[in-house]
Amino acid sequence: MKKMQFTQRPKALLALLAVFAFLAATLAGCGGNGANSNDIHVLSREDGSGTRSAFVELFGVEAQDSSGEKVDRTIDTAEITNNTAVMMVTVQGDAKAIGYISLGSLNGSVKALPIGGVAASAATVRDNSYPICRPFNVVTKGDPLQVLSPAANDFYLYIISSNAKAEVDGNGYVSMDSSAEYESKGAAGKVTVSGSSSVSPLMEKLIEAYNKINPNVSVELQTSDSSTGISDTLSGACDIGMASRALKEGELSQGAAETTIAMDGIAVIVNPANTIAGLTKEQVRDIYTGDITSWDELG
Amino acid sequence: MKHKQFAEGPMRALFFAAACVSIFFVVLICAFLLASGVPAIGKIGLFRFLTGVVWRPRNGLYGIFPFLLGSVYVTAGAILVGVPVGVLTAVYLARFCPKAIAKLLDPAISLLAGTPSIIFGFFGLVVLTPLTERLFGAGKSILTASLLLGIMILPTVISVSASALRAVPQSYYEGALALGATPERSMFFSVIPAAKSGIMAAIVLGVSRAVGETMAVMMVAGNSTAVPAGIASRVRTLTTHIAIEMGYAEGLHRDSLIATAVVLLVLILIIYFLLSLIKKEK
Repeated sequence: MKKMQFTQRPKALLALLAVFAFLAATLAGCGGNGANSNDIHVLSREDGSGTRSAFVELFGVEAQDSSGEKVDRTIDTAEITNNTAVMMVTVQGDAKAIGYISLGSLNGSVKALPIGGVAASAATVRDNSYPICRPFNVVTKGDPLQVLSPAANDFYLYIISSNAKAEVDGNGYVSMDSSAEYESKGAAGKVTVSGSSSVSPLMEKLIEAYNKINPNVSVELQTSDSSTGISDTLSGACDIGMASRALKEGELSQGAAETTIAMDGIAVIVNPANTIAGLTKEQVRDIYTGDITSWDELG
Repeated sequence: MKHKQFAEGPMRALFFAAACVSIFFVVLICAFLLASGVPAIGKIGLFRFLTGVVWRPRNGLYGIFPFLLGSVYVTAGAILVGVPVGVLTAVYLARFCPKAIAKLLDPAISLLAGTPSIIFGFFGLVVLTPLTERLFGAGKSILTASLLLGIMILPTVISVSASALRAVPQSYYEGALALGATPERSMFFSVIPAAKSGIMAAIVLGVSRAVGETMAVMMVAGNSTAVPAGIASRVRTLTTHIAIEMGYAEGLHRDSLIATAVVLLVLILIIYFLLSLIKKEK
């Protein structure tokens, strides 16, 4: 009876066998090369992200090719995520991973590597010894003290005041020098702030602290990206724009003006179990361009 | 009589209008996609767009071949994982399952169907990825994405094929028993072949679910832009490609993502065409 069943369904049986053979073969194959290799798992942000463009520019991953065109040479097998949280969870769970995030988002779940012997921290960004940082700007259409509505002006004065400084430092960013203390002039109204998702978490904290002092101004926060924030400001769709990069020629010529409210370092992160003590700028570049592929090469 | 007709007219119009809403939006979506996607494809060149292997929008290189391949691989993997488990579960549910277990199994499947994909994604990220990394050295890869998607298509495959199996007349099963077959053999060689088209439909629906899934895949597939080299390599599918880059894209970059959506739409249309062919056969 059993024999008959087999001869009745040779095709089905063969297909089933083939599937099992395929699965077994692939699993065996993967197990073989995965067990003892010490490959670096490179994580990057998506093309177009402000953090990525700052990273590739500051580390020299971006270079001009023979025709003078700027090329982002990030290795194409790099894992891509569009989310800082996913980047951190991945690095936390993968002993061979390397990634990068905004210094302000850094917490104890991952290890930030010193670059060229300098630890990534607010203090080293402030004294200019940590080389990888970028400005957080607010953007206005013209001189902020003249063009802003009374309510927006009041909020702007708070952002650049010494009161905001504590808020900036307290959240892992690096504040700018400011001596002017904010004093509410009793302004009321509505302010719209729009732009970079990197600046947005800081702005959220600032708004919260500001409303404790002056609850009469309601600030609406719209999170998108730097370019949108700047074009919204120029078109009048928002009062104040947020940008995690310096303004470009074209934007300046349209009347945009920037005020740096904080500096943000970019931290290179690895798994806490990773024994590497630090990297140089060149090593990070070579890892991201694929010239260094194994942790063994870094000793 | 006249009064009745008077009331019927507007109501008929109301129902017709309600029915038109979905048609209207499908047409609108297609029109929007084609209007912004087709010019972008024209600018890039259809051949270069579909078969290009380098994606570097800032240097004018728009090749989506790796993502096309990624979608096919991940979907095939999901089918390999999800269909055997799903169909066997359906057989169990339709024929052999004791009532007490069915009471547990049915809600579990419904719950699995209702679980938001971001939760699947998070599960994949914190549980599945480290697991495959330890077992096979794969981590975020085609393998992990396939496993996760295989789990996600289970409810679709189970519920559609179980109802197909239940629709087979009892006499098929009993006839086979009467001829001396064991209950298992009657099920596998008489009832399942009779429900073949229903099970095929379940598989096709599973495929379309797998092709369209974005959020969960994005979290476990690794999303690299390289052409996938093996089952352990990182991969980006069409849907995740659109989702991941839309936030910062502008100009031709943005239009090329919409063009990617057009390709995806065509893919889904082909799948539904296959489904209608299967249904016609029935």
